Amino acid sequence: MEIVVCVKPVPDAETRLRASPDGTVMDSEGVKFVLTGYDESAVEQALLLKESVPGSRVHVVALGPPPRTEEVLRASIALGCDQATWVETPAAAVPEPLVAARGLARAIQAVPHDLVLCGKQAGDDESGVVAGALGELLGVPDLGFVVDIRWDAAAGRLRIKRAAEAGQETWEAPTPCVIGLQQAWNDPRTAKLPAILKSRKAPIGKAAAGEIPTGSGRIVPVKFELPPPRTGAKMVEYKTPEEAAQKLVRLLKEEAKVFP
Amino acid sequence: MTPTTLVIGELHQGHVVESTLEALGAASAVGATLEEVTVLLMGSGAKAAVSELAQHGARRIQLAEDSRLDSAPVAASAVVAAATAQTVGASMVLVGGTTFGHDLAGRLAARWNAAVATGVTEVRRGTGGIEVRRPIFGGRATETLRLEGDRAILALRPHSFTVPDGPAGEAKVDPAPAPEIPPALLVPRRTGVEAVTQGAGPSLGDAAIVVSGGRGVRAPENFHLIDELAASLGAAVGASRAVTDAGWRPASMQVGQTGRTVSPQLYIAVGISGAIQHLIGMISSRCIVAINSDPSAPIFRVADYGIVGDLFQIAPALTNEVKRARGA
Repeated sequence: MEIVVCVKPVPDAETRLRASPDGTVMDSEGVKFVLTGYDESAVEQALLLKESVPGSRVHVVALGPPPRTEEVLRASIALGCDQATWVETPAAAVPEPLVAARGLARAIQAVPHDLVLCGKQAGDDESGVVAGALGELLGVPDLGFVVDIRWDAAAGRLRIKRAAEAGQETWEAPTPCVIGLQQAWNDPRTAKLPAILKSRKAPIGKAAAGEIPTGSGRIVPVKFELPPPRTGAKMVEYKTPEEAAQKLVRLLKEEAKVFP
Repeated sequence: MTPTTLVIGELHQGHVVESTLEALGAASAVGATLEEVTVLLMGSGAKAAVSELAQHGARRIQLAEDSRLDSAPVAASAVVAAATAQTVGASMVLVGGTTFGHDLAGRLAARWNAAVATGVTEVRRGTGGIEVRRPIFGGRATETLRLEGDRAILALRPHSFTVPDGPAGEAKVDPAPAPEIPPALLVPRRTGVEAVTQGAGPSLGDAAIVVSGGRGVRAPENFHLIDELAASLGAAVGASRAVTDAGWRPASMQVGQTGRTVSPQLYIAVGISGAIQHLIGMISSRCIVAINSDPSAPIFRVADYGIVGDLFQIAPALTNEVKRARGA
């Protein structure tokens, strides 16, 4: 099975967020970019499938500017991906999700792909539209919020589990299709040192992002804000647990107005 | 043709889901009159849900009573939704921030090359386009975006818009267009749904209130204190990573960076210290209550209300008080 997994460089969870000088986007100066949880789960799922279906290969594709995009591709190779393609974008600005999906789709169309995996959303902009957009652009079905994929060789079908609002759904799907992965359900592996060292010299293919179609909608960032620092909780003073409960219920009713 | 708003409805067990009704509220929040909003209902249960929608002020409803859509992937519904948007001349397409809504928003955006935003908490018509606000980085920041172009697609964050009360009235009901759906998009099938085993309460993702238990609960047999408090409030039950890692509760209940992100009206953290990995999953909740025995627990720094005390005493007292206050 030819598996393509899409990853995106995202600021490390420990990053102290701040606005750019003009206040419209996040300031990426000095920020460390890494493979995020959702994408780690997608890579892990790709590798699990590769290990269970003989003759499979995993091709990792990422879109974005240097050097962060190359870094997440090398990190994916160190985890066990066989081949990498970098869709390089010039500016340091993070492309809007649809632009990213279009560039990724272009690169994917140029390579064999039975199954396309990605994180169900990225940990930074949390858009969660790339899986659907890739499905549409590639002309195949997509499923998001997936937690498990098995290949049923006898039936020639993928057996999929996903966490939807109503509960855990089971699906069967043919290939090719696009799947967006939930985070950390599969306990992603970590790379071993020799593999990390080897990944530094691995070849990385390049692909062009392509033109944005004329007449396309556009997303213009207007403002990036950090929430006002929380001033700390209003503490409920009490003598008995009953009094604490009464006071809290009154606050939720009368002050916060969130009591059902 | 006057530009209109299309709300793409979602049904669950024959009922219109809350997020669809909230989308009606969002449409009116940006100044759309009742007549300018069309709701599309798809699947075999579509007709039966019409009266429920009309009660909340829907006046234009289109039905795609195609039973093939019941267990087909969103890709198939997207074909119908796209054709409907074309027919009604929609300049704004609204979906709920559900599994269905996210997949649909991505497909429609790619189909039309249209601007799309998900997780939207505020919408207004600005100069040059529709302006939206949305939390990002797990609620650690908020961005304002302007969506430019002939058509914008918005997936709304649950509980961010008010469900309109009506006015109840007659809705004009029409059949939706029935475009040919490419056969390949109908091949994947949903073969089953296993309801989440967390009692009778609402699911974590769309609950208005969430009560979560952490390490402070000490043992799985004590978790009923959390369940009972949640039941008294009609809330969903969540858990910290410590609890799910220990196997006291299934991983599907975990709130946090590696679990679910929730943004309810009210989040009650019981016996949870407030590690960053947990905070990322709940910080955008509207009101946060923390109950913890350690006054220096980081959870109190992000909470709106705090009670320092023994959860084994506070939680049952609170359950009783909530029952009393709700007249149960």
